[in-house]
Amino acid sequence: MIEMHDVWKVYPNGVEALRGIDVRIDQGEFVYIVGPSGAGKSSFIKLMYREEKPTHGVVLINGVNVKRVRDWKIPHVRRKIGVVFQDYKLLPKMTAYENVAFAMEAVEAPKRRIKPRVEEVLELVGLLDRKNAYPSQLSGGEQQRVSIARAIVNNPTFIIADEPTGNLDPENSWDIMYLLEEINKRGTTVVMATHNKEIVNTLRQRVIAIEQGVIVRDELGGEYGYED
Amino acid sequence: MVMKIETLIRHIKEAYRGIQRNVAMSFASISAVAVTLFVFGIFLIVAFNMRFISNELEKQVAITASIEEGTSEAQVQQLLQNIQADPMQKFAEYVPKEEGLKQMKEQWGDTDFIQDLSEDGSNPLPDVIRVQPKKSDDIEKLAQKIEKLPNIESVDYGEGVTERLLNFSGWVRNLVFLFGLILAVVASFLISNTIKLTIHNRQREIEVMRLVGASNWFIRWPFFFEGAFIGIVGSIFPILFCLLMYQAALSVLNDGATFGVFKLMPMLSLSLYVAGSTLLLGIIIGVLGSIISVRRFLKI
Ligand SMILES: Nc1ncnc2c1ncn2[C@@H]1O[C@H](COP(=O)(O)OP(=O)(O)OP(=O)(O)O)[C@@H](O)[C@H]1O
Ligand SMILES: [Mg+2]
Repeated sequence: MIEMHDVWKVYPNGVEALRGIDVRIDQGEFVYIVGPSGAGKSSFIKLMYREEKPTHGVVLINGVNVKRVRDWKIPHVRRKIGVVFQDYKLLPKMTAYENVAFAMEAVEAPKRRIKPRVEEVLELVGLLDRKNAYPSQLSGGEQQRVSIARAIVNNPTFIIADEPTGNLDPENSWDIMYLLEEINKRGTTVVMATHNKEIVNTLRQRVIAIEQGVIVRDELGGEYGYED
Repeated sequence: MVMKIETLIRHIKEAYRGIQRNVAMSFASISAVAVTLFVFGIFLIVAFNMRFISNELEKQVAITASIEEGTSEAQVQQLLQNIQADPMQKFAEYVPKEEGLKQMKEQWGDTDFIQDLSEDGSNPLPDVIRVQPKKSDDIEKLAQKIEKLPNIESVDYGEGVTERLLNFSGWVRNLVFLFGLILAVVASFLISNTIKLTIHNRQREIEVMRLVGASNWFIRWPFFFEGAFIGIVGSIFPILFCLLMYQAALSVLNDGATFGVFKLMPMLSLSLYVAGSTLLLGIIIGVLGSIISVRRFLKI
């Protein structure tokens, strides 16, 4: 569960990216974060995976106050969260398999469990047959699927995605969405910031709209609501 | 904190990969460490030998009190007892002139000079009492005391030589320390620059590790190993060079005329000291370099 109480994010340059956010996202939900450019969506996302600390207010991840948590414990908070980005953030010198395995090695998973688990998630994202390909040999959609495989390999309770389809053509975008939907059906909470009107209006889910750092709309099965 | 062998091996591999990736910089910092440690090694040899020699000298420090001719056996015994009762002395013995001559022959060999001394069977040496002080610092006071005793003709001791040598070696030690410190700091900064490059090269990997929840230490360890690795590799050549040079110096000095007191420290004990301290310093410099760059450039 993610909770925010009167959360403000003011960057050092004085920009007030978030101004008094109150929100609660329960386990198993699928949430779109929408809003115009510069509204504060990425800032909202960053607070959730503790990339940024709130300037004011409280952010609770599974009941843990991320502002109070000691630095050395942050990694343990992050293990509960899988993050997916618009630009995939894959390591170019590693194969698809190695990129996913890297996430397990980094949390010191037992070696014997790595191979079966990596193959399991690569199978889930439909890339087991391309496991030895390097990112440069994969299409954008395939790269994003590898990055999703990496995000879920350590069994997080949340998947947080910042415009995961931002760099993809419609067909690949849909593949990614079906994948995220599938992951959500298995019990993982999914929160994604997006500009994709078609997706939001077709695959109806909870929609949280942010404008100028404030939540202006929050509805289940809502519409995208902007023209772009 | 317990580290799995698996993880340890991974960190060492990563460290090695870091060095491989920027060979030129790594080579530069290994060289800087090598130069530092070479200078350090030489100073170390000098300092260790200073200490060794002054210790040897200290052991030999003794007062030789000559007894007036014609002193009776009973008076000599009385004198010896007087001296032995002094709390400053550690050991005192009576050395009659025959014994003195014998010892001299043993120490100097049966040279012409000694031959001449006793050519006609006579012995020009006085009977003496040899006294060792408990503390070498007390030698002067003890000598003055003994000089005042009856039937003592004169006292003799290595006035000031040991003190000066001890002072000098203390001074050299401080200088070594200061010099070593400066060089070590310079080398550490070079290493920190090398590791900064590695951190820079790995920015993306580090970011991914953070995102998936790698522990801070898991991210940091490879950089410490890299620094230590540079330190270790950088210490190999200076250790070899220093010890080879010392071996050469030893064979030149000890094969030539032997000046009893100026025997250098034997190879084995010195090489252990020098190799050990040089390696340790290398590792310290390396890890210090890692700490500097991890603190400054690794944002976790
Ligand atoms: N690190 C930062 N330092 C200073 N200002 C920032 C920083 N990150 C974001 N901002 C500012 O905060 C505001 C919100 O930015 P944010 O990235 O959250 O918007 P967004 O909704 O994700 O926009 P977009 O749809 O274009 O991705 C913007 O005005 C932006 O310029
Ligand atoms: Mg954004």
